[in-house]
Amino acid sequence: MSRSTPQGEQDVVDESVPPGAWRRMHPVTPALRGWKIFVGVLLVAGYQLMDNLQQASSLLQGKGWLIAVGVLAVVAVVGFGYSAVAWRMTRFAVTDDAVHLQTGILFRQQRQARLDRLQAVDVVQPLLARLVGLSELKLEVAGGSGSAVSLAFLREAEADVLRAELLALAAGLRRPAAAPAAVPTPGVDAAAEPTAPGTGPAPAVAAPPVVFAAAPEHQVYEVPMPRLVLSTIQSSATVGFVIAVGAAVVTAVLSREVGAAFFVVPMIFGIGGFLWSRINQGASFRAATSPDGIRLRHGFTEARAQTVPPGRVQAIRISQGLWWRWSGWWRIEINVAGYAIGKEQQQDTVLHPVATQDEVMTAVWLVLPDLGVADVRPVYDAALRGTGDDGGFTPAPRSARWVDPIGWRRHGVLVTQRALITRSGRLRRQVDIVPHERTQSLGLEQGPLQRRLGLASFVVHSTPGPVQPSVAHLAAPVAAALLDEQAERARTARAGDRSEQWMRQHVDVVAPTPAPTDAASPRTMHSPPDPVA
Amino acid sequence: MRGTTGLPSTGPAGARMWGMTSDATAPTADGTRDPFAPLDVSWTPVSTRLARARLTVLALWFGPLVVAGAVVAVATGEAWVWVWPAVTAALAAWQSWLIPRQVRAMAYAERADDLLIRRGILFRSLVVVPYGRMQYVDVTAGPLARRFRIASVQLHTASPGTGASIEGLPPQEAARLRDRLASRGESRLAGL
Repeated sequence: MSRSTPQGEQDVVDESVPPGAWRRMHPVTPALRGWKIFVGVLLVAGYQLMDNLQQASSLLQGKGWLIAVGVLAVVAVVGFGYSAVAWRMTRFAVTDDAVHLQTGILFRQQRQARLDRLQAVDVVQPLLARLVGLSELKLEVAGGSGSAVSLAFLREAEADVLRAELLALAAGLRRPAAAPAAVPTPGVDAAAEPTAPGTGPAPAVAAPPVVFAAAPEHQVYEVPMPRLVLSTIQSSATVGFVIAVGAAVVTAVLSREVGAAFFVVPMIFGIGGFLWSRINQGASFRAATSPDGIRLRHGFTEARAQTVPPGRVQAIRISQGLWWRWSGWWRIEINVAGYAIGKEQQQDTVLHPVATQDEVMTAVWLVLPDLGVADVRPVYDAALRGTGDDGGFTPAPRSARWVDPIGWRRHGVLVTQRALITRSGRLRRQVDIVPHERTQSLGLEQGPLQRRLGLASFVVHSTPGPVQPSVAHLAAPVAAALLDEQAERARTARAGDRSEQWMRQHVDVVAPTPAPTDAASPRTMHSPPDPVA
Repeated sequence: MRGTTGLPSTGPAGARMWGMTSDATAPTADGTRDPFAPLDVSWTPVSTRLARARLTVLALWFGPLVVAGAVVAVATGEAWVWVWPAVTAALAAWQSWLIPRQVRAMAYAERADDLLIRRGILFRSLVVVPYGRMQYVDVTAGPLARRFRIASVQLHTASPGTGASIEGLPPQEAARLRDRLASRGESRLAGL
């Protein structure tokens, strides 16, 4: 243990992890991390100097150059040095039940993420990391702000193997009973001593032994790049962009001064940045199914591969802005617990950036295989474009026109055996789907005007995310009945929900004993585990 | 539309009284039952001491304001300066009329599998929280609340939208509710 805790201080010892199981990130990590610090400092300095160009140029005269270079060198050394120490102090381990992560130089932090609470596993490759063949593995456990466990950076192959292992363990599979003696964990930390009996010191460069083969994937859809670009251009943001540029030109012409147009420059940058990020994040968007769940890959500069296990999608939103109506495109977003918090929300929660109606049906099928209706197409027709009681929807009554004169015909709700489907929005169409077993809590709201008109709004509370399902302005008795029935339905559905350890149900069928052997491992049905010898 | 469950167009016209009777729970005039009073539910109102606590806070805020305004008005001797204390006094009077009514409208009910929380007179809301969805329960009491022997219980699910809190519970009741909710949450534990 002494070499694992470099300073030999009284670190809180994690007893549940065998000493040999601790591993480190890839040694190149400090370089990638340090580079970020360096660039950050440069940017701040740059901004400061931009404000005062004359002063800056006078600084750089004579020996000023030397000082500037010296400061940069110091910044670089400090940045990379800090990252190197941080890397040295960071280690992680994977046990059967949890992922353990220790970080921090002065303030030591130990984090333990329970695998049965795993919501999603992402492999993220920022541009620089991709160039050197590294990737970051991120685990989402629904624990509120900052609960994600980030393992950065690992070798690409190592990250993929680790992902397969984590998903298999979370699914309720166990390591083959015979294997642990020979192979405690895939990939043995080069810095850790081989204290566990029978643990051969594996060289760090060797490929980690594969215990769990990656589940096979089957690609379901792919977003063509031309459509993504076209759909991004065809949006309100572009209209704003054109207006901003037009305003700039008009001002410049009228005032006969180019400088007068500069007031719109930040706006143009802002909108341009938004358009670029939409294209950048949605580029080469592919979705696949695997026994581990759905797998979404996307991103141009930063490649992401998200894996969302079955039953982790809390709610689905299908929406269509006004500008997409004639092309018949839809954007699909999902709520996954843990994804919503932080700046990466936008890129994590997209299930399909621009889908045709057929693709909408496919994409929803991907996360919710059974919608609970015999014939799906008429339901989608009614949900996406219908009004009133089309397709069996329960619409808002006529009196709702006083509170929502434009969109009242679109407000509606349909309850199937598996999910609640709500529909709203006439200009910006929107359809929300919540599986019954994923309902958190329910609410009923009524304002004074609604009360007079005999209306009430029904709200379904879902985990944080882009989808906040609700049906506004239903007839009050209907809303009350819906509240009662939905509470009952959610309870029944929850009782039958078996997505917690989604492979366990297979195991239980094969062998009723809770401890499955490797022979009974259902993983053999996708691909046999590599022989461990 | 096979496989879908139809919704009843109207609920049964039940004109029963539940637990406490106030204008917020009475059946609506046209005979249909009030959506905010589900059948077979006995509501427990929160303690009226909550109203007293809130009125105290109101007095602590508005009292000095009115007094200060009145002092300034007397000192200057100008008639229009009285507008300030008059307006604040009117606001305080309106609030002190509203607060007891608001508190009377707050109630909760424990059903076999979920907890119901109701509040509001003009803008009414009803929340149904299944025990199995409860992540943790908070019991809090500030200095003023302790003085008035009340506490508040807040239920947390995985959704921030739940926002289910019961204010103005007697401390024993808050503790009992907390323990009961905690035990029920465990027995009905489910993933997200």
